[in-house]
Amino acid sequence: MSAEKASLLLVDDEERVLRSLELLFKPHYKVFSTTDGNEAVAIAKRERVNVIVSDQRMPIMTGVEVLRRIREVSPNTMRLLLTGYSDLEAIVGSVNEGEIFRYLTKPWSAKELLTTVGQAAQIALSLQEEAGADATGPVPGVLVIDDDPTVVEMVKAITGSSQQVKWTVDLDEAFQTLVDNDIAVVVCDIRLRGRDISAAVKALKESNPQVLTIVQTQLQDVETLRNLINHGQIYRFLPKPARRGLLEMSLHAATRRHSSLKSAPKLAARYQVEKNETAPVAALSSKLQGFLDRMRQGRV
Amino acid sequence: MQDSAQLRELVISAPGIPPDLLVNEVAELFMDETHGKLLSLPVLDGDRPVGVVSRARMQQVLFRQYGRELFGKKPVTAIMNDTPVVIESNTNLSEASKTVTERLKFPVTEDFVITEGGRYVGMGAVMHLLNAMEAMLAKQTKDLATAYKELKSSQLQLIQAEKMASLGQMVAGVAHEINTPLGYVKNNFEMLEMYVDGARVMMTTCNGLADVLLSPTSTEQDLRARLEEMQAMRQTLTLPADDDMTRLFADTHFGIEQISELVLNLKNFSRLDRAAADDVDLNECLDSSVMLARNVLKARINVVRQYGQLPRISCLPSQLNQVFLNLLTNAAQAIEGQGSILLRTESKDGWLKVTVQDTGKGIPADVLPRIFDPFFTTKPVGQGTGLGLSISYQIIQQHNGDIRVTSQPGKGTRFTVRLPVSKDAPPPPEEQPEEKELS
Repeated sequence: MSAEKASLLLVDDEERVLRSLELLFKPHYKVFSTTDGNEAVAIAKRERVNVIVSDQRMPIMTGVEVLRRIREVSPNTMRLLLTGYSDLEAIVGSVNEGEIFRYLTKPWSAKELLTTVGQAAQIALSLQEEAGADATGPVPGVLVIDDDPTVVEMVKAITGSSQQVKWTVDLDEAFQTLVDNDIAVVVCDIRLRGRDISAAVKALKESNPQVLTIVQTQLQDVETLRNLINHGQIYRFLPKPARRGLLEMSLHAATRRHSSLKSAPKLAARYQVEKNETAPVAALSSKLQGFLDRMRQGRV
Repeated sequence: MQDSAQLRELVISAPGIPPDLLVNEVAELFMDETHGKLLSLPVLDGDRPVGVVSRARMQQVLFRQYGRELFGKKPVTAIMNDTPVVIESNTNLSEASKTVTERLKFPVTEDFVITEGGRYVGMGAVMHLLNAMEAMLAKQTKDLATAYKELKSSQLQLIQAEKMASLGQMVAGVAHEINTPLGYVKNNFEMLEMYVDGARVMMTTCNGLADVLLSPTSTEQDLRARLEEMQAMRQTLTLPADDDMTRLFADTHFGIEQISELVLNLKNFSRLDRAAADDVDLNECLDSSVMLARNVLKARINVVRQYGQLPRISCLPSQLNQVFLNLLTNAAQAIEGQGSILLRTESKDGWLKVTVQDTGKGIPADVLPRIFDPFFTTKPVGQGTGLGLSISYQIIQQHNGDIRVTSQPGKGTRFTVRLPVSKDAPPPPEEQPEEKELS
C-alpha cells in the first residue's frame, strides 16, 4: 500500500451500518464516520476527504443536502450516495445538487462497494493537485439532440452569440458533430423519435468524458435515472416542458465546468462511467457503433 | 330508462265523425266491427277534435223512451261530450297518465283523444295506458335493482382497494425497515466470508509448518521456507481487533433479531390464521402497529406511550390493527416536520379506551363532521381513497364500540376509540362534554 492512504468519510444515521462500513474500509482507507450531516461538513472542512459515501434519509440532514454542502466546502471530494430508498426527488437532487459519482442502493455487496469506492479514491488521489482554472479562447458550443424545436430556440435564446448551437434529431449525425466540432454541452432528451436513446447517452459520455450532458425529459423513472447517473454520468436532469431559468443556470454551470475540465483534462476522470458488460447496446445503430469504435481507436 | 316512452306508441287510429252527422248514423257506426274496441268516437271539425261521443252516452240516449225519436235526427253535437280529454302525442306516459286520472270520470266510459300540434291523430285507451305504465315501472324497478347491485359491488371493490392501498403502503414501509438491518448484516456476513477465506489460507500454512516440524526428514531449509511463508502471511492477512470482531457479531445478531421481530409483527398484524381471538391485548396491537408504521414515523415523530393495565378482550385483532395503523398513519401525515404522537390506553367501567393524539395541523371545523364519510378525503386525487376512516368507523361499530374525534386547527387532533371489555358490558360512560385542551 502506498504511503498515502486515501481518506473516506462515511455518513449514515444507523450506527450499525457505520460500524459495518468502517470495518470494511479500515484496512485500506483513513476512515472518518458520523451520523450527523453537520458534523460531516465540519470534517470535510477540517480534513482532506477524498471520497464521501452518504445515506440519503437521515433526520438531521438528507444525504443530498450533505453532498451539496460537501461539494461547496470540498469540491474535489468524490461523492457517492448509498440509500435504501429510490425516490425520484432524492435521485434528481443527487444529480443536480450533489453532482454525484454513483448512486448505490442498499443492501449492497461488500466487494462491489470496495471496488466502486476504490475507483473513486483513485480518481480523487490523482486529481488532488488539479485546480482547474478557467480556460481562455473561444467558448465551445452546445449540441441539442431533441425532437422539439422549441428546446433549440430556448438554448439559442440563452446562449445568444456567445456559443455556437448545433441541433440534430439523428444519432449518427450527433456523434459526427461531436467529432467535427468543439462541443462543451449536450442537451438531450432520452426519447428521440419515439425510441429510448439512453444507451447512446451513456455511450456518448464514455467516449467524450469532457462533454457534459444535460438530460431534459418528461420521463420520470427512477431506475432509468439511476442508470443515467452510474453509466452515463449525466450532469443535470431537468423536467420537461423545459423551463428557461433552470436550463440557463444548468447551461452556464456546464459550460464553466467544461472549461475547467479543458484546462485540467485529468479532471474528466471524475466523470468516468461504470463499465457495464450487460449494458444494452442493441439500441445503437451499427453505423453508430462503428463511429464509437473508430473514436476509441483514435484515442488509444 | 324508458321514461321517454311517449303516448304516440298507444295511438289507435279511428276515423273522426263530422259534427253534422246525425245521432242515428253515429249509432250505426258503433255497431261497426272496426270501432268495436273503442269506448268513444271522436267528433272532428276538419282535423280539430271538438268532442267525443261515447258508447255509454249513446246507449243512455237511445234506451230512453222515445230517445231515438227525440235525438235520432239531431246532429251528434247535441249529445257529445264537448270537453274531451285531449293529450298531445309527444307527452310522456307518466304525464299522460296523470292527466287521464285527473280528468276522466269514474267509471271509465270514454277513451281520450290524441293530437299532434292540435291536429287529431287517433284515440287512446286507458287500459293500454295502464299496461304501458306497468311495463315501464317494471323496467324501472329492474334498472334500479341492477344499479343498486352495481353500486354495492363497486363499493366492495373500493373497500378492497383501500385495504390493498394501505397494505401496499405498509409492505413498502416494512420492506424499508428490513432493508437497514439487512444492509449491515449482509455486509458483515460478506466480511466474515473474507476473514474465513484468510483464516483458511492461514490454516493451510500452519499445517504446512506443522508437517515440516513433525517430519523426521525435514531439512533446515524446508523449515526456513515455511517460516518465511508464514511470516509473509501474517503481514498480509489481518483480522479485525477483538473488540471490533465482538461488535461485528453483536451487531449482526441484533440485525437478525430486528428482522425476525419485524416479520413476527407482520404475522401478528395480519393474523390471517386467527379470524377472532379472545385474548387480545390492545397494548400489544398498538405496539405492532407502531412498529409497522415506523417508516412513516421514523425519526421525525416522537411516539409517547402511556399504556394502562388492560384486560384481554375478544375481538378481530387484524381489523383493530388496521384501525390503529390507519389512525397512526393519518396522525403522521398531519404532522409537518417534527412532532409527537401520544398513545394512551385505559380501562374503566367495563370499557377500554385508546387515544391517538397528534401535534399535527388539526382538522378545520367545517371538515370535522365529514371525516368518517365514505369517499371524503382532503388528500390530492390518487393519494387517498377517502375510505380509511370510514372503514375504521365500521370496524369499531362491528366491535360494538365507538370512535370519536376532537381537533384544534394548528394544535392537533385526538381520536378516541372505545371498546367494551365483554358483550354484557354496561352502556359506555358518558364522556365529559369537552375533554382537556389538546397539548
